[in-house]
Amino acid sequence: MGNKGKSSGILGSVIVLVLLILLIFLSNVDNNKLSYLENIGAKVTTPVQKILSDISNKIKGNSSYFSSLEVLKKENEELKNKNSKLETELRELEVLKAENKNLQEYMNLTEKYSAYEAIPAYVINKDISNYSSNLVINVGSKDGIEEDMTVIADKGLVGHIISVEEKSSKVQVIIDPASTVSCNISTAEESIICKGTLDNDQIIRATYIPTGAELIVGDSIQTSGIGGIYQKGIFVGTIKEIITTNNSIDRYAIVEPAVDFSKVNTVLVIKK
Amino acid sequence: MKKLLISIILFITFLIIYFLQANFFSNFTIAGISPNLFIILVLFIGLYANQTMGIIFGIVIGLFLDCIYSKTIGPSAIMLCIIGFLGAYFDKNFSKENKITILFMVVGTTAIYEFGLYSIRSIILQYDFEVIDFIRIVLIEIVYNSLLTIIFYPLIQKAGYTIDRNFKRNNLLTRYF
Repeated sequence: MGNKGKSSGILGSVIVLVLLILLIFLSNVDNNKLSYLENIGAKVTTPVQKILSDISNKIKGNSSYFSSLEVLKKENEELKNKNSKLETELRELEVLKAENKNLQEYMNLTEKYSAYEAIPAYVINKDISNYSSNLVINVGSKDGIEEDMTVIADKGLVGHIISVEEKSSKVQVIIDPASTVSCNISTAEESIICKGTLDNDQIIRATYIPTGAELIVGDSIQTSGIGGIYQKGIFVGTIKEIITTNNSIDRYAIVEPAVDFSKVNTVLVIKK
Repeated sequence: MKKLLISIILFITFLIIYFLQANFFSNFTIAGISPNLFIILVLFIGLYANQTMGIIFGIVIGLFLDCIYSKTIGPSAIMLCIIGFLGAYFDKNFSKENKITILFMVVGTTAIYEFGLYSIRSIILQYDFEVIDFIRIVLIEIVYNSLLTIIFYPLIQKAGYTIDRNFKRNNLLTRYF
């Protein structure tokens, strides 16, 4: 009896010792070396656990998993709503900014041309043809617009009204090939004719230059008031290049308009 | 009934082209020159529908463009009417099955339309005919129109056959002989 108890005590101690050694050994082994074992375990247990977990959730009804998902969905919905509200506000702010910019342009224009009674307008359409540059503005006969009224922008002359509808008007711009404007050179009192050209939609051609007139690159050109359409003294542009020919009568100058016609959005129509 | 539906679809196509031309192609240019999709549309209607449709659409689209942009009403209407007529003429005399033939038609009609329109405008509005610059503009426009025709040819052909079936049901095949 005594021997049996002694031997089982020794066996128990050996088992405990072996277990402890195994524990120490396993706790010091690199985890990665055991990952294949974990994988095997996971492969076996995961599907079963998933099925069991699903069954459990279904039995419970409103399980915590689903309830947290519901909460997340709700939160997501709320955040989406907030986001769309913020986007709308941002868009409104951008519209206000653009309006503010336009109003400032109007202010600058009206201050600059305070001597004239003018109607502000927006450009709503531009000619799609490749050899015509007419504009359509958002004011018409209802606003008191008439044919042949002068149209100006912040930096200078744009053109004149060629056709009026009830709520819109067509403007023939000075760069249009059909446009001719009687002008003066700043350094001389000579009159010249500025014509639109097909060559480039950002230049006009100064022709009929008097033989005695001395042109200098950089001279500013302004309307002469001759012809009855444009008022006198509106800035048209500056001389960019002078083209001389054998015959001095044929010489002409390239004038860079003051207004950038690709960017013109706000204009003033001068009442007669 | 189907003819009416096709006419409505063609008119909606015109409106889409108008907005594309006014907002997209005005910024998407080759050397500052934009294409003229109205020529392709009217040619296509004349070619696949019939002469009457080509002429009517040509006049309506032309009048619309003249009313919106031009001081004088009529030049675009006249020229697009001619393009519609030419479309139907090409249909009777040439095969539409070949991409190259269609391409030549687009090149020819673009040149005719632009030359006619520019000439009429220069006479009415009394401005100088700038030959070299005009040729430069027209050549670039022809290239642009041709490129778009090549790109949209499968779509043009598919839509064209649908129109063709509805407008020329009685004289399919036999009209070539």
